[in-house]
Amino acid sequence: MHPLLARPARLLLVVAIAALFGVPLAWILKLLGPRPWAAALAFAVPLQIISGFIVLSAWWVCRRHPISGPGAWRAVAVQLGAALQTTSIRTALGTFWALALDRWLYAGLSRADMYRDLFVMFVTGIPIYLLSAGGHYLFLAFEASHEAERRVLETQVGAREAELRALRAQLNPHFLFNSLNSINALVGSDPEGARRMCEGLGDFLRRTLALGARDEVTLGEELALVERYLGIEQVRFGDRLRVERAVDPDAAVCRVPPLLLQPLVENAIKHGIQDCVAGGVIRIEAKRAGGSLRLVVENPVDPDAPARRGEGVGLANVQRRLEVFGARESQLSASREGDTFRVLLMLPAVADGALAEASRG
Amino acid sequence: MAERVRVLLVDDEAPARSLLREYLGAHEGIEVIGESANGFEAVKAIAEQRPDLVFLDVQMPKLDGFEVLELVAPEPGAPAVIFCTAYDEYALRAFEVHAVDYLLKPFGRERLAEALGRARERLALAAARAQGAAPPANPVPGTLAAAARGQGRFAERLVVRDGAQVHVIPAEQVDYVEAQDDYVAIHEGGRSHLKHQTLAELAEALDPERFVRIHRSYVVNVDRIARVELLAKDQRVVFLRDGRQLPVSRSGHERLREQWS
Repeated sequence: MHPLLARPARLLLVVAIAALFGVPLAWILKLLGPRPWAAALAFAVPLQIISGFIVLSAWWVCRRHPISGPGAWRAVAVQLGAALQTTSIRTALGTFWALALDRWLYAGLSRADMYRDLFVMFVTGIPIYLLSAGGHYLFLAFEASHEAERRVLETQVGAREAELRALRAQLNPHFLFNSLNSINALVGSDPEGARRMCEGLGDFLRRTLALGARDEVTLGEELALVERYLGIEQVRFGDRLRVERAVDPDAAVCRVPPLLLQPLVENAIKHGIQDCVAGGVIRIEAKRAGGSLRLVVENPVDPDAPARRGEGVGLANVQRRLEVFGARESQLSASREGDTFRVLLMLPAVADGALAEASRG
Repeated sequence: MAERVRVLLVDDEAPARSLLREYLGAHEGIEVIGESANGFEAVKAIAEQRPDLVFLDVQMPKLDGFEVLELVAPEPGAPAVIFCTAYDEYALRAFEVHAVDYLLKPFGRERLAEALGRARERLALAAARAQGAAPPANPVPGTLAAAARGQGRFAERLVVRDGAQVHVIPAEQVDYVEAQDDYVAIHEGGRSHLKHQTLAELAEALDPERFVRIHRSYVVNVDRIARVELLAKDQRVVFLRDGRQLPVSRSGHERLREQWS
């Protein structure tokens, strides 16, 4: 379908422009064979309107024969041929129209006048078609550049997605610095503890990299990562960090995007435990309710602590991960009730096939 | 160095404090007089025990390291400070508030020894100055406050100190602030707190969307304004929701009108 014919408004535009072309044509005819304006316009305008639609056929010709590249000369020849063809059709239609007009409203034209008019029709038809072909080539070039732009954009989006993938595999460097400082401290007072912490940190890093490289993991795997993380933070925060877990076994086999809970627990420490003098309890809950998997992470907040910048970033990342995971029905909500901050995640409970079977068998 | 240096360790993480204690144990003439695990404790300990040197973490419960410094540094005899943190982004702010050094965790014995050397130089210099006529140069309160809230940000809370007691006032709870010589009186829910700062400095720290300087001596929280009344020609007063009246200068009225337009 020609783009100009696709909408009534554009169709009207074609008619209007074609009708305008009828005016100079009428003027030429009147100049060559004097006649009233009305007679000249009555002949020229309807004919130009029909011609206008005929030359739109250049759209298909232009698409078949691009003007650039090795086939350029061929395209020129084809276009000239098409010009002759369309102007022939125009002239033939003009003949019928002239005869009809002559019969209905006698304009007092001689046969010779009529032949001359038709000759004018034939000659003017060629530049009109070529004009249309030129316009279509321009339009196609414009469209092609648009398409190219769109593709570049698409590639950029793809690259960004890859970047995000890399980002989520990346770790919070301050967590590492603080952990190294704790190890540094333990080396003097508790060398055995320092060794354990090195081991725990190594294990956590390895798991993070392994899980981050995957598209989905089981909740159990994610929780195991969270446990490693908490184990390291326990050394830093001591009694201030207390953890309560309520995880149903049938929830642990569900599939989730990797690194979904770990950033939430990290937030819970950074914006919760760390701000509280006496620390507090982080609650992690994972339950299956019908077809949904319900995940909750709760932490205490200090009423004096200001709303920290960057708090929303972690949540937005988790939200994005859910979207990339393709769980459309999933939702993420964060709320604060009194001195408790709570993040609730609901996502469809899809059990990992192999694991579910293994647990059944 | 014959003189003993009395040191306070401030960090919310016990391992970080024990590391400092261990490192410092190897140095002669260093006496660790205490440890604080949060900002409130730190302010109290500094006010009561007057340490010469404080090792100060930045991210802590209640008050962060910069807020602690804002509360204790303007006083004569304020301690020298060495920041210890895993975050390198505070370094610039740390030197704006005349920190002796900035230790990035994890750090080793040599790095700590270097920082300690600098602290001793600083303390010796301060002692020499104190013997002479010129008092030691403390950072100005405005600079301290600016460093505490971070560049290009507005204060979300104000910290004030009353002896060893510290008050943290969320900015939105402030009704109005009144200039009193070198101090400002921060009025909040019927209470008022004195803070060593000029009104101009404080006004700069507050979010202009919420706080308007209506008079040479008054900055008001616009949410608290009930109405503005014209008493005489060019003489207006603001009525707060609690019935209190504050004078409005001509330019103050202009600013209010801009805010409301």
